Amino acid sequence: MTEPGRALFVPVLLGTVRQGRMSLPVARLVVSELSRRPGIETELIDLARIPLPIDDAGQAIKDPTFSSQMSRADALVVVSPEYNHGYSGLLKHALDSCLEEYIHKAVGVVGVSAGPYGGTRGIQDLLPVLRELGLVAIFWDVNFSAVQSVFDEAGALRDRAYLPRIDKFLKELVWMARTLRHGRESIALE
Amino acid sequence: MTAMICPECGIEMNHHAEKLVYPSGPHEASSVDPVLGGMIEELHTCPGCGSGASRRAEPTRGG
Repeated sequence: MTEPGRALFVPVLLGTVRQGRMSLPVARLVVSELSRRPGIETELIDLARIPLPIDDAGQAIKDPTFSSQMSRADALVVVSPEYNHGYSGLLKHALDSCLEEYIHKAVGVVGVSAGPYGGTRGIQDLLPVLRELGLVAIFWDVNFSAVQSVFDEAGALRDRAYLPRIDKFLKELVWMARTLRHGRESIALE
Repeated sequence: MTAMICPECGIEMNHHAEKLVYPSGPHEASSVDPVLGGMIEELHTCPGCGSGASRRAEPTRGG
């Protein structure tokens, strides 16, 4: 169903800067699947392109472009690879640079790993951080296990089973984004 | 406190959230709400254009 009025803006944050990162085709796939949906605008936000200093932290290093993207967003997809059983340190660094931009907005996490667990350990560590930032996490994740075998050398999806999983994930995310937008705009805190 | 007005639409924004935040240094120590242990940031969203705004709430009284 298409909602009349303003489109929902649902950017995809690629949560790693590592050279050769296999999360890049994952993020591009999610952007592509989001783009097919009516009433949705999206874009890929590459952590490696956010110019954040590393000699300070938190909102003191807020990047105006990233802040503007988060302010405009109705929901956020975080593509989070698992490194040493956790999410990337620079993802936390970037997320911490904003706060009010996130509040009462939906978030979903796509986990990525070279091993068999699809980034689940990183997701579990990330969820309490997202909650403290004011984001509302959905109960669907997408887990890319053995990601090096999921895409071909050109970055095309080999395993089509991921498409219905992404579809379920995005349906829930969009529902939550619409509901929270209605709440932000129309339901006052008592 | 008075309602926030959207600078774009000129209409009253919806006050939908209050977030407890903590002082970033000694310069904000005097702003800490003694009852809540931090400072309250109010979040407002415009029903017309969806833009958001925030402001620091006044400390609570009592406790």
